[in-house]
Amino acid sequence: MGWLSRLFRRRKQETELEEEVRSHLEMAAQERTEQGVDRQEAEHAARREFGNVELVKEVTRDMNGWRWLEDLIEDARYGLRRMRRSPGFTAIAVLTLALGIGANTAIFSLVNGILLVSLPYPSPERLVSVTGTYPQGAFVAMREQMRTMDVGAYVEGQELNLTGFGEPVRLTGTPVSAELFSILGARPEFGRTFYQGEDVPGRDNVVILSRALWQQRFGGDASILGRSIELGGISRQVIGVMPADFRFPSNKTQVWIPLHNDPRDTVNSWAGAFMPIIGRLRPGSTIEQARTEIRMFQSHVGALFPWPMPASWNAGVSVVALQNEMVADVRARLLILLGAVALVLLIACSNVANLTLSRAATREKEISIRSALGAGRRRITRQLLTESVLQALFGGLLGLAFAKEGLALLRSMLPSDTPRLAETQIDWRVLLFTAVLAILTGIVFGLAPTLHSARAALTDALNSGGRGSAAPVSQRLRSGLVVAEVAFAVLLVIAAGLMIRSFWAISHVNPGFHPEHILTARITPNESFCVDPMRCLAFYRNVQDQVEAFPGTSGVALVNTLPLGGRVSKRSLDVEGYDVPAGEDVPLFWLNVVTPEYFRVMGIPLLSGRAFADSDVNGAPVAVITDETARRFWPHQNAVGKHIRLLDDKDWRTVVGVIPDVRAYDLQRNAPDWIGGTAYVPYNRMATLEDRRIPSEMTIAIRTASDDSQIAMMLRNTVAAINQEVPVSEVKTMRAVISEAVSTPASTTALMAVFAALALVLGTIGIYGVLSFLVSNRTREIGVRMALGAQRGDVLRSVMGEGAKLSLAGIALGMAGAFAIMRVLSGELYGVSATDPLTFCGVAILVAVVALTACYIPARRAMRVDPIVALRYE
Amino acid sequence: MAEKRERYQNRIELLQGTLDMLILQTLQWGPQHGYGISVAIRNRSGELLQVDTGSLYPALHRLEKQKWIAAAWKISENNQRAKYYRLTATGKKQLTRERSKWSQLSDAIAGVLYPEER
Repeated sequence: MGWLSRLFRRRKQETELEEEVRSHLEMAAQERTEQGVDRQEAEHAARREFGNVELVKEVTRDMNGWRWLEDLIEDARYGLRRMRRSPGFTAIAVLTLALGIGANTAIFSLVNGILLVSLPYPSPERLVSVTGTYPQGAFVAMREQMRTMDVGAYVEGQELNLTGFGEPVRLTGTPVSAELFSILGARPEFGRTFYQGEDVPGRDNVVILSRALWQQRFGGDASILGRSIELGGISRQVIGVMPADFRFPSNKTQVWIPLHNDPRDTVNSWAGAFMPIIGRLRPGSTIEQARTEIRMFQSHVGALFPWPMPASWNAGVSVVALQNEMVADVRARLLILLGAVALVLLIACSNVANLTLSRAATREKEISIRSALGAGRRRITRQLLTESVLQALFGGLLGLAFAKEGLALLRSMLPSDTPRLAETQIDWRVLLFTAVLAILTGIVFGLAPTLHSARAALTDALNSGGRGSAAPVSQRLRSGLVVAEVAFAVLLVIAAGLMIRSFWAISHVNPGFHPEHILTARITPNESFCVDPMRCLAFYRNVQDQVEAFPGTSGVALVNTLPLGGRVSKRSLDVEGYDVPAGEDVPLFWLNVVTPEYFRVMGIPLLSGRAFADSDVNGAPVAVITDETARRFWPHQNAVGKHIRLLDDKDWRTVVGVIPDVRAYDLQRNAPDWIGGTAYVPYNRMATLEDRRIPSEMTIAIRTASDDSQIAMMLRNTVAAINQEVPVSEVKTMRAVISEAVSTPASTTALMAVFAALALVLGTIGIYGVLSFLVSNRTREIGVRMALGAQRGDVLRSVMGEGAKLSLAGIALGMAGAFAIMRVLSGELYGVSATDPLTFCGVAILVAVVALTACYIPARRAMRVDPIVALRYE
Repeated sequence: MAEKRERYQNRIELLQGTLDMLILQTLQWGPQHGYGISVAIRNRSGELLQVDTGSLYPALHRLEKQKWIAAAWKISENNQRAKYYRLTATGKKQLTRERSKWSQLSDAIAGVLYPEER
């Protein structure tokens, strides 16, 4: 039976019921007239006896099972009509809800795309990650021995030059073990991925391109397949192109090349890059079994190394779900934001509930009439709830539009290295979330006023003649809502305050150098170019000399790793007079290889001794160390004149100078515990890194007095003229480098501040609304009091006092709450405690001032009440 | 007036479910419309049982839905169109079931109230 015929049948049922009741009344009346009762009297009696005609019809109709839908449609229609009749109220309510729901939807889209949606690979729940990194030799052993899972490895953050194809470019390339693609279950857009065993020397001259690179650099030409390109000075055959949505390990990767597994190369196998390991559980294996197996493996892998490994190395190794591992860094931050935005929604809910309550007072009459006409209490409750849910749904719809814009904004605000950011979108899960959120919101903000209204005694409202004096229950509820609103707002503003203070602290950290007027750029010949160190040094010398001749420059230096540039070089060092404790390695240093001008160009002052001189490049071996290093190894002594030696070097280096600590890796701290110190050595053939080669990738730092873009262009031309195979990349000012270093706390702080501002505005509107309502309700009372001699000041004080009471209660509650829960923020804070008294008090004062200002406007209105007008007003 | 009120107070609230049985029983004697049913029940109970229309009509529609009674529009003795209900075959069976249930129940209650008469 189609819905149409059902609809017709329902119509028929309806008219039949009508007629049935009519005939009943008719017969009852007729019987009475036959007994001699007057016709009109008889009809009245019949009707009286029958009872409430509409109610009887309604409960009878209930038997037909269509009742609920009919009621819903009727309620919705009625609700819509009411909303149309008070557009101002509706607009405010819907807009408030839309802001709350929209913000929640936008943040949830992030949470959904980053934390919830499965990784875009087949059977993603079987993908795991080994906590801990392993060198190639250990990885090969693991690959052979593991029974519970297939494992693959990759090297993070490698870069390669692409040459011979227009101007040279620096690419991000990820070396991977041959089976990595099959473990992920990733298929190429076309071509193929690596074959088993393609990661051994002789077979590894192949490369897979990302779709983006293939489009930008090779014009999307499919004939690139099978051709060879020059990568890092090595010719590699293009075997495939990955689809655009393949972003492993991150969206930065432009090419994938095989690992170079050469067991004869002991140093590279066991001391080369330590690689993250991912795996796919084999059928029938569980993650617990994999954990047990990896612990077994860890207990004997140390013995495979050509040198003793400390027992602490990877001691706590485990296996975790790959998805959790990939997003571990952002999880806390996202959940904090979600919590904050949920608070905003709660405030929005309280606000609209308050508005609805204010109207409920004026609606009491309408509701009383409806119940007098026979509407059941449940029916009225449902009617009112339908109205609020309807409002919330409109809010949700508008909120969705906000969320779409908001998500785009969020994606541009968040640091681009946020994992899976590109995968975030408004999908069905987000839509479902918004729908459920809107309905729940409607019920939450609708319930309190509804229960109150439905309870409203019929006679009270009718008798009060519509003066609408707010019942005490209603006033208490409204006050409670305002207190809650203020408390939530205080919570959020405190959170934002702490983040802002923390951000302030981070951005005012002394990085140890002067970032102004410095332009930097990476100049990176192929590694093979620097196999001959003299050629390499001569090349850089040449670049430096020519750049120094640029107009508008006042200093040029080269360094292997720029502070805060995201790269550090580690090197084991012997330290004079330092006995390595048993079971520990020689201290690992951060090693900076620099040209003599470096300290002056970067504005790094000297604490003692001297900086490098040109004569040091070819003279006796020297080094400069940081203050922290000096104090660690030679406490209470002058470090100048002491000696250090790069591991495996013959000659000791004399420490000639001590500089203050420079924030090398991030702004928050100098160096992790496992870094013994920081040393600077002059760039010459003795300045070798861990691989016993001199650095081949240097960054140039130019102190400029003129236009940076001009100098950047001249730099590119100069390098191209000297060697057209060397790319110039990452051209940016030192200021920009610092901004990037703080981009993560900056975005979180900005979002928090926006939410807090939203909360404060909504909370203020809440207080204002309640007090305005109070004043307009008490106009008569105030008029009487003034007529009896109350001063204007008394009235002002009384209204302000009311507002102050609510605000202070909210502030106290919010502060207590903040004290209890701000600990969740501590991981995101720097240089400020999660219960910082200054922030707490500052926020309390700020919110108090804002709240009292909001109270002042209605209070002034109350003060200006003209007793004559007020008393006449009825 | 006083007598009327007393009579009203003496009226007995129908037990849940008994109304269905009374309706079926009333229809035993032939098709009847809603008003007729309410009058019949009132008269046969000596004015003691007053059927509330708010219960009667929902009950009629419920019974019709369960196919224990069937409805048809007819012209009444007073020349009015009225909806007449009649007992169906399954309705008859249902009435037998309800009657036996009822006599069990009233026996049981009588047993509790007047144990000495056993």
